[in-house]
Amino acid sequence: MKTKNILKYLLLIILMLQVNSCVSTDAEQKFEDSPTERLNKQKKELDDLLLSAKDGWKAVYYTDDNQLGGFTHLFKFLPNGKVDMASDFDDDTEKHNSQYEIQLGSTVSVVFTTENKIHLLSDSGNSPLAAGKGFLGDFQFLFYGQENGDLVFKSNRTVKEVRFVKATPQDWDDLKGNTIMNKNITGDINSPLFRTLETTDGTTVKKYELNYNSVVRFGTAIPLQDGNAETLKLAVAFTPTGITVRPAIIVGSQKLTDFVYNETDKSFVATGTSGAKATIQFTNAPPRLTDDYKLFLEGGGQITIGYIAANLSGAATNSPYAKAILAQVNAALPANQKIARVQIAFNDPLNGNYIAYTFTGGKATIYHFFTTSEDAVNKTIILTDDGWIGTPAARAFLKVLDDEITNPKGLYLKKESFTIFYTNVIYTYASAATPFRLTNYKF
Amino acid sequence: MKLIKQYKNIALVLGLLTLASCSQEDQPTESLLNFTPKVKTDLDRWIDTNYIDPYNISVQYEWNQNVVDNNRFLFPPAIDKVQPALEIIKKIWIDSYTTIGGKDFVKIIAPRDFVLVGGVNVNPDDVSNTLGLAEGGKRISLFQVDYVDKKDRASVTEFIHTIQHEYVHILNQTKTFDVQAWSKITPKDYSSDPFSISDEEAYELGFISAYARSNYTEDFAETAAIILLNSEEDYAALLASITNPAGVAALKQKEALVVQYYRDAFNIDFYALRDEAQKNTTKVLND
Repeated sequence: MKTKNILKYLLLIILMLQVNSCVSTDAEQKFEDSPTERLNKQKKELDDLLLSAKDGWKAVYYTDDNQLGGFTHLFKFLPNGKVDMASDFDDDTEKHNSQYEIQLGSTVSVVFTTENKIHLLSDSGNSPLAAGKGFLGDFQFLFYGQENGDLVFKSNRTVKEVRFVKATPQDWDDLKGNTIMNKNITGDINSPLFRTLETTDGTTVKKYELNYNSVVRFGTAIPLQDGNAETLKLAVAFTPTGITVRPAIIVGSQKLTDFVYNETDKSFVATGTSGAKATIQFTNAPPRLTDDYKLFLEGGGQITIGYIAANLSGAATNSPYAKAILAQVNAALPANQKIARVQIAFNDPLNGNYIAYTFTGGKATIYHFFTTSEDAVNKTIILTDDGWIGTPAARAFLKVLDDEITNPKGLYLKKESFTIFYTNVIYTYASAATPFRLTNYKF
Repeated sequence: MKLIKQYKNIALVLGLLTLASCSQEDQPTESLLNFTPKVKTDLDRWIDTNYIDPYNISVQYEWNQNVVDNNRFLFPPAIDKVQPALEIIKKIWIDSYTTIGGKDFVKIIAPRDFVLVGGVNVNPDDVSNTLGLAEGGKRISLFQVDYVDKKDRASVTEFIHTIQHEYVHILNQTKTFDVQAWSKITPKDYSSDPFSISDEEAYELGFISAYARSNYTEDFAETAAIILLNSEEDYAALLASITNPAGVAALKQKEALVVQYYRDAFNIDFYALRDEAQKNTTKVLND
């Protein structure tokens, strides 16, 4: 081919390419607006929605309903990026003011940018579960849209759904009530030691031992009957009349979530239809009774157990009530004297049964003799007075403690599976009449 | 037609097409991005006046997930805790260096950005907390802003420790210290696990704190910072509490190197700086 022709074709190709390159510049538009315009609209939409609720928004925030309960928060968004907030996290249910911002993360989000109540869930210095993780809380929520008037968000780090529901003036007043219910389910020093959950669909009754952690607002219900292997998890949130649990407790074909507090017997009851209900109750009787006490009865072998203050005063199995009693006794003693041991000897060949109260600071031991009997139905051992060494006046300060151990309803004795400091077997005894429980070594 | 003429014509057509192909393009309209500055609060204006305008240092007190570690459970400070914390920094750190080093000293060598965090930053070991972080000498993150108590000397000292320590790093990045001489003082006792011993045990080894055992640069920063945090008498008492004479000797050698560094690199009388910092600390407490 001649050079002339080569150049001609080359030019022709270039020309075609040039023309062609201009043919379809229009990319297909999926949306009417540009991404920036859409984001701006979304930001404005969210801010308008947040500001629109006259009495603000309410969110029961479950940071992780597998191990933590729900924390009720109320937000009243104000112009210029201010927000009033209140929550039932602690006793302070008053409104506090701070700042918020609509920020762009992976999508449009609302961020509470200065400290307020919601940040209490994200305090690495207050971590009831994993170290440094706080209550696994977030305070930046990505906006996922509206659903029946609710605003649906997901938390920024943990991707948990959080729903903002329009609040009422009543909701703000109710927070105080929530904290009262928190106290009711937590109990106090005088509340019975154990909790049970009982469900019935009208005919079949299921019983559970309920272990409830009031700090994280979470309970685990362990079945007490053979044939029921299902452990229930209860993520608890508070209402002014009781508690709600999640997931719902399934009783027959019904789902129960809302428990109402009964002031009289201090129970929480969720009621369904046709006799279905679930009841949470305090009890002094351990949900699982053992025969461990039989070892200590009259005619058995010699066995001695003892509470040693130096090693066992910090044991988690000492109830607050028992600690208060011990403190009361110590307070009645001179400053240099304290209870050192409460040692109980059973079936001693020389001296029979006796409690030996020993003290620091050179104070002489006080002995209380007793006889034993059993309550076979309730599985308790009853320690009955059989005389003292020492005058009544000299031992008067011990009465509060001694009355617990020798109470006429008896003691639940339990061999525990843990040890403390030494390898000695641990026994606990709990009063059948009061929330008194003390931790002991077996010698 | 001559070949060359033909080409000219073709080139002309191409040129026209090229121009024509652009003739339809839309002209850019106003930006869709929102550049409206946020409404400034009193606190923002205070920061402008006391940090940004005089020293070109910005302060981030509102939460911004991009400047904190998202694996840690942290939270922003309470609004009313921000200004008191910044006043402490201004008085004890900026004012002391300005008085002794010259009025432009902090303007020229300073971090450009403070990030304030309200709560503690618990480390994964669940034993120690991170009090502060310095990133490349440009940004300093300060934790526990909510807990600073202006009336409590220990609290103020702990808070200001972070900034004094990090600022020594920034100075070191501008002019390095005599690492060679430093490395000869206590060469054997540096550790990758500095918190395995207490501060008191570290004194005996010739370190001003347990953390100082991390490496030479941390040791230098800790030594300088802790001398600045103590009065002359308090520091003398600290040295007097050490039973091992070798420990005392090592700390005195380190102190001499710090003093020399401040004099040679910045023409600063280190002891005058310490006295000024002490005077200002007392002022903060009495305010």
